Amino acid sequence: MTVIIISTPAYAKLNVCATLPWIGSLASELGKDKVNIKVLVKPSQDPHFIEAKPSMILAARDADILMYNGLDLEIGYLPLLFESSRNPRIQPGQPGNFDCSRFVNVIEKQPTADRSMGDVHPLGNPHYHYSPSNILRVARGMAQELSNIDPVNGSFYRTNLASFEERLRNRQIQWGNRSLKGKRYVSYHKLFEYMANEFGFQLVGYVEPKPGIPPSAGHIERLIESMKKIRPDGILVTPSYGLDEAQALSKKTGVRVIVIPQDVGSVPGTNDWFSFMDTVLSSLQ
Amino acid sequence: MKRIIMLLSLLIFGAVSSQAMGADLESRIQTMEETLKKQQKTIEAQQKIIEELKDQIKTQIATEKPKTAVAATEPETQKPAGTTGVFGGSALSNPNISLVLNTYAYSSNLTNDELKNRGIRGYTTEGIDHKNGFNLDSAELAIYAPVDPYFNLYATIPVTEDGTTVEEAYFITTSLPQGHQIKAGKFKSNFGRLNSQHSHVWDFVDNPLPYRAFIGFGDKGIDEKGIQYTYLPPLPFYTILGVEVLQGENKTLFGADATGGPHAYTAFAKASVDVGDHATILFGPSVITGKTKTDTIAANSDFTGDTTLYGFEFTYKWKPSKYQGFKIQSEYLYRSQYGDLTDTNLGSLARLERYQDGIYIQGVYLWNRWEFGVRYDMLSILKDDYNLGGAKQDMGRRPWRATAMIDYTFSEFSLLRLQYNHGESDISGKVNHEVFLQALFSIGAHPAHQF
Repeated sequence: MTVIIISTPAYAKLNVCATLPWIGSLASELGKDKVNIKVLVKPSQDPHFIEAKPSMILAARDADILMYNGLDLEIGYLPLLFESSRNPRIQPGQPGNFDCSRFVNVIEKQPTADRSMGDVHPLGNPHYHYSPSNILRVARGMAQELSNIDPVNGSFYRTNLASFEERLRNRQIQWGNRSLKGKRYVSYHKLFEYMANEFGFQLVGYVEPKPGIPPSAGHIERLIESMKKIRPDGILVTPSYGLDEAQALSKKTGVRVIVIPQDVGSVPGTNDWFSFMDTVLSSLQ
Repeated sequence: MKRIIMLLSLLIFGAVSSQAMGADLESRIQTMEETLKKQQKTIEAQQKIIEELKDQIKTQIATEKPKTAVAATEPETQKPAGTTGVFGGSALSNPNISLVLNTYAYSSNLTNDELKNRGIRGYTTEGIDHKNGFNLDSAELAIYAPVDPYFNLYATIPVTEDGTTVEEAYFITTSLPQGHQIKAGKFKSNFGRLNSQHSHVWDFVDNPLPYRAFIGFGDKGIDEKGIQYTYLPPLPFYTILGVEVLQGENKTLFGADATGGPHAYTAFAKASVDVGDHATILFGPSVITGKTKTDTIAANSDFTGDTTLYGFEFTYKWKPSKYQGFKIQSEYLYRSQYGDLTDTNLGSLARLERYQDGIYIQGVYLWNRWEFGVRYDMLSILKDDYNLGGAKQDMGRRPWRATAMIDYTFSEFSLLRLQYNHGESDISGKVNHEVFLQALFSIGAHPAHQF
């Protein structure tokens, strides 16, 4: 007598590959122990200047879903990763190709852009990870897509989404109590526009005359002049670049430098998106 | 008296009624305010609902799109699912096109004729194709786009004064089972490291002596029609295994007339490991073998036989930030060849066997927008056997060259480079001092370069 044993396959963890740390942290909030997450860019690296490494290609090869910021922020290496990964699941058009910016209310689109304007992002400002309202939209889309490619754990992802949403709403109340309305800042690069919209502060000048172009002496002179008149509340800069120029500017104008972490994990105590935003907002005060 | 009472009572009545009216007005205003507040709250709540509905619809549309794009029954009118410019904007009607201008001013102590005739004795009769003065290497068009969900197409079309050629035109598969990929058409072989790179990616203006000696002058390299299969195995570190079947028209290695049909085959393996957070190494062996019929070995000669070129590459890259980095790269090449060499003047035939090798090693240091590089090339290191008719020929001194360069990048799209070569590759002993001032500019959407 033969006995046939049928066992339900134990579902292996979903392989999630994320380009940036904040995407990895969102995926881990929604997927918890059902996902294996590999993040390609380190929190200390500037996301604009990443070169594709073979180890990234290897991570993309095994991914069930590759999640990225979009809006051309990863244009320098992502297309190469898709093609070299030899992974049909993550190709553009497939469910495993997850562009977070699909869910974002994008600001600052510039359809007529050319390189004489510097390193502009024609599809819009890509730094929406500083925006709670957009992170919520991305999280919803992410939970939906995770459920699509892993329907067995669909309700698990949706439950985690609900708890994420609740925590976000509570935090938003706390953040709303901070008095950032009406403050004015100068920033090195155009990183904080979504935050300015949401928290009511203004960006009144940029150290870079054009994105990606280092400031000339003339531009710095003009900036110092206008800063002496406007007296902004701070010079916003990230740890990975522009710090020296910002400090020099601070000495000449008396305006303090505020170092904002560029992504989850880039300064101690910011290991998830909530604590990252907490640190960002308290630095601004 | 009556009048006073009437006046007083009028006043009192007026005051009371106005007070009452005031109180009345007050309460009316109050109720109005309360109604307003309530309406405000209702509007806010409704606004919230509208926002949420908008988000829901957006989410639904965005997550439904991928499914409809994949459905084979709805092809043409469907836009690719929500990709925001992965290949840059809309590549549906306009593929990505870029143009790279590579132009340089050149100066050598040798005359143009001497340069043209300066081969490497024992290796190749091919001379140096630079002219004193202004040179245009090429204005190179690179066009690429996905063809459909299954293939990507790449074409590189250098435009030079001698005409326009198709340097590369090939497709790559994107949906074979995990790990596998096929490339076919005309492409630069992935033998070695430098071969598949276009000259505008090089760290120096020209390619090193071993490439000149074994593969050919300039950046064409092993550029053949054929087919390539590569596999990325599921190992804990990046590895690529590949094989190619090529036509074999490279005139230094093989020659179009060697046999009918494809007559060159390659096999290669490359592996890479990260060293800490900021450094990576890449290394691996390659081999290319095939039938040869060429006249580039010696003046007035014709050779038929078999050639095999072995290579080993090693690259180390350290890049802790955008503004600092160090790169060291080296390749060792060894060529074994045997066959019959005909002297076309005398009509005589002799057995030729060549076992020769070469190496280059280069280092580049990046600091802000400046790069500083040095390179050393050498041939005949371990092996220099040129056996004609059974007798070993003395090819004289070992050819070598030393190079130093400095370059400045204005942006990722523009570069100016100054380079000096000290070349002792000729048996006459005359040193070739070369100075280059090169300008590289690119416009358009160029595909990202390999590691």
